[in-house]
Amino acid sequence: MIIRLKSGIVYDPTNNIFNRTKDIFIKDGKIINKNNIHGKINQTIDCTNKIIMPGAIDLHTHIGGGKVNIARLMLEEFHDETDAKYDSSSIIAPTTIKTGLKYIEMGYTTCFEPALLPINARQAHAEMADIPFIDKGGYALLGNDDFFLNLLRKKASQSVINDYVAFILKASQSMGIKVVNPGGINAFKFNQRALDVDEKSKYYNITPRDVVTKLARAIYDLGVPHPLHVHCSNLGIPGNFLSTIETIKAAEGMPIHLTHIQFQSYGNNGDRGFSSAAVEISNHLNKVKNLTCDVGQIMFGQTVTMSGDSMSQHKNHKHAHPNKWMCMDIECDAGCGVVPFKYKDQSFVNSLQWAIGLEIFLLAEDPWKVYLTTDHPNGAPFTSYPHLIKLLMDRSFRNDILRELPKDILNHTILHTIKREYTMSEIAIMTRSAPAKILGLSQKGNLSIGSNADITIYDKNIKDIEEMFAHPIYVLKDGEIVVENGKIKKYRWGKTHTVKPEYDKSIEKSLTKFFDKYHTMKLDNYVLSDEEMENMIGSKVYVNECKYKRKQ
Amino acid sequence: MAAQKSYKSMVCPFCSLHCDDLIIETSDNNIRLTQGNPECGKKISRHNINSQSRTSATINKKKTGLTEALKKVKKIIEKKSEVLILNHGTDLSGLRSLLTFASKYHCIIDHITSKFLFQNIGIVQRTGYIATSLMETKNRADTIIIFGNNILKKNPRLLDRILIPDASLCVNPKKKNIILVGSFDKNTINSISRKSNAINVRIKLDNIPDFLKIINNNKSETLRFITKQSLVKINSIIKKSKYLVSTWTASDFSNTKNPEDIISSISKFIVDLNITSRAACMPISGPLADSTSAQALTWLTGFPSRIKYSNNSFKHNRTAYNSEKLIENKQVDTVIHVSNLSENELIMNKNIYNIVLGHPNSKLNIEPDIFIPIGIPGLDHEGIMFRTDNVVSVALKSVRKLKLPSTQTIFNKLI
Ligand code: SF4
Ligand SMILES: [Zn+2]
Repeated sequence: MIIRLKSGIVYDPTNNIFNRTKDIFIKDGKIINKNNIHGKINQTIDCTNKIIMPGAIDLHTHIGGGKVNIARLMLEEFHDETDAKYDSSSIIAPTTIKTGLKYIEMGYTTCFEPALLPINARQAHAEMADIPFIDKGGYALLGNDDFFLNLLRKKASQSVINDYVAFILKASQSMGIKVVNPGGINAFKFNQRALDVDEKSKYYNITPRDVVTKLARAIYDLGVPHPLHVHCSNLGIPGNFLSTIETIKAAEGMPIHLTHIQFQSYGNNGDRGFSSAAVEISNHLNKVKNLTCDVGQIMFGQTVTMSGDSMSQHKNHKHAHPNKWMCMDIECDAGCGVVPFKYKDQSFVNSLQWAIGLEIFLLAEDPWKVYLTTDHPNGAPFTSYPHLIKLLMDRSFRNDILRELPKDILNHTILHTIKREYTMSEIAIMTRSAPAKILGLSQKGNLSIGSNADITIYDKNIKDIEEMFAHPIYVLKDGEIVVENGKIKKYRWGKTHTVKPEYDKSIEKSLTKFFDKYHTMKLDNYVLSDEEMENMIGSKVYVNECKYKRKQ
Repeated sequence: MAAQKSYKSMVCPFCSLHCDDLIIETSDNNIRLTQGNPECGKKISRHNINSQSRTSATINKKKTGLTEALKKVKKIIEKKSEVLILNHGTDLSGLRSLLTFASKYHCIIDHITSKFLFQNIGIVQRTGYIATSLMETKNRADTIIIFGNNILKKNPRLLDRILIPDASLCVNPKKKNIILVGSFDKNTINSISRKSNAINVRIKLDNIPDFLKIINNNKSETLRFITKQSLVKINSIIKKSKYLVSTWTASDFSNTKNPEDIISSISKFIVDLNITSRAACMPISGPLADSTSAQALTWLTGFPSRIKYSNNSFKHNRTAYNSEKLIENKQVDTVIHVSNLSENELIMNKNIYNIVLGHPNSKLNIEPDIFIPIGIPGLDHEGIMFRTDNVVSVALKSVRKLKLPSTQTIFNKLI
């Protein structure tokens, strides 16, 4: 079966193609070269006046795992039956089915769950296996687990740490490593309520800086494409931009990705002790070579915050709306906290958070370094991406909203002075090609010959940019038309992306000892095999290449 | 004689701890725990096949082939208007297929112990809640309060494996304080005392909320059911504790006047302790895969139990889809009982059409219209089940050769 996308306006940033009218040919799930077509073309889609982009990639969205399911359970009253097309689950904590439907209808074809606890990996993957359409993957949480902290305390060599990191990637079938509040979740279990970058945890006598340096080094040494994914210390605390900058330095020049950086870019100026430090953070982002970030934009309205950061979520429970919440300590591995929250447009703090996120987007000189996220659902549900795109592309639209917000935020943000409007090309970069690049997904985020035919087609005649991005007319997943004229045409199921750097098997010996003594599970039950992933959990594994052979 | 085979790390499906270190011996039909807790050994041997076991399908008591039985089920389901699937315990694949089937035939789904599930999740849906998991408890808890006395019987290795283990990362098991709230027998108290410091607070379970209030207030005039001396002692233990865990099983409170009040009071007590110290709850769920069911249904439908497929999606109603009431009031005309894990008696109403996808040793109050024997996840086929702490799920293996279909196989054939 050969499909021809005829005369579309193509944006393919990886190949430096922007706004160029072109045909694209698809066969067996891949993009093929026109010159290699021998059989007949089975279907031609007229793409005149249609924008063609690679399928969008969300590199940070909480779509599966224990905390997501807690949120679903907690928020029964937000079910809404008004749209018979979907089940009634709320978009702030959608079912797996609704997650897949909403993503694909928006032209997203690949998504990554950023907080996959290795001990909870079986569940996270089982949930994600039940999300239709999209390819997925997860970043395993490390840096608060007692095994790792013990390695650090005992001054284990970097090479042993690398073995452990590589083992975890394999055991949890993950695509990268994330650290959340480095060492802080663990310290909270010993009743520490804060942990700054250079503060020592009482029990292990280790600083967050140590944790970040070692893990960033491990990722680099192993050649894992995605840099260490970091949720910094002091999330949400006024003045935390300083610890964010220190965390950047902790990577010592190795690649590092700071996630939902909006929540990490707060100053403490002014009467209320809360201000934007987006300029300071953006200066670093623009200057530091191996640094990338996703924004974690907030939007006004009801949502639910969910995080591995039990230390900060326990603090945040005072702001729960409605007034209920849950925190959990998890298996000497990590923790979690689920707190429903409503961002109010008349709140000084929330309005400023909204402005800070936009400032970071607009001050970023290189769209390849900053990715479009709302940290779904922490800042807002992922369905607000089209609105966010409009905020970035349309200055007057942005300023109209800004004018309605509390006036005093203008003393603490420069958003109203920023003239920049994102171009279509820049949006294409930050929502597809850049995340594919930083994840090492060579066959995604581009329309090269041989790449996956994950393609989104928008109708350029729709003048409202938000509307256009919300409702692509066609979406193809692995070469099959799954959305046609904005409607679901066919269900299909994606795969799970992983990386598997090599490691010295002797780490499994120490792990077996540790598991037999302290765990409540055997090591071989903890490890997810490819067979289990496919036959029991329900998703095929795709192993992505590492960047290079392991360095040490 | 069938060949014996031994396994060193069987994953046990029979209570919500799901231990995965069982040393067993199996032959074609049977399984025997060769080392370990004799209570668990007894639990496990109940699943052996004997002359009474039902390994063939029946229609109106008459033995029949699986194909025939399935044909009949399909015919019945297509005719009937209101079908209830009553889950007495199945694994993840069973649940996934059961949901697909329910969405095709617009069925109601309930779990036999939903009542207890709703009592526990009430705290998550209404208030603040702090939880912990088995491994955290094993390695961090220096003080444990056990509310109710059945929990240790129902989960035979809870004490040795989790509450007072031999090894622990951060605490000396000998210095652990175990506060037992309720009537505990001497043997239990003595066996705990041998390993750590045990205190029994002999109060009625109905008095738990008052007891916890007194603990918080430390006021002498409110001492109705506890001596001042015990109170001082308990208070001092709680004040000194660095990581306190409260544990209970909701079914223990079923004879009390207000189980939800008891659970809320324990949760609030824990939340309050966390203002200055660390503490957490660790409820123990039942043995009928209640956690597995709640987890899978929640991510697939948005609701943990009591759902019905209508108008394109699953709807939830705690009262309307309560299986007990539906059966009692004959608001359903067919019940499909799905029982993978227990041989306990299935109670059926003779005025309703009963289909059982059942454990081969199922006891039945009346003969169902159709009985189809199914395998047990963890013995006869692989499967995934969730532990009581919900964050951990285990991969069950197939360890015996009995060829019975899984719940998933049956439902997939019916779809
Ligand atoms: S405690 Fe429960 S799970 Fe563990 S072996 Fe005994 S019955 Fe099985
Ligand atoms: Zn996040």
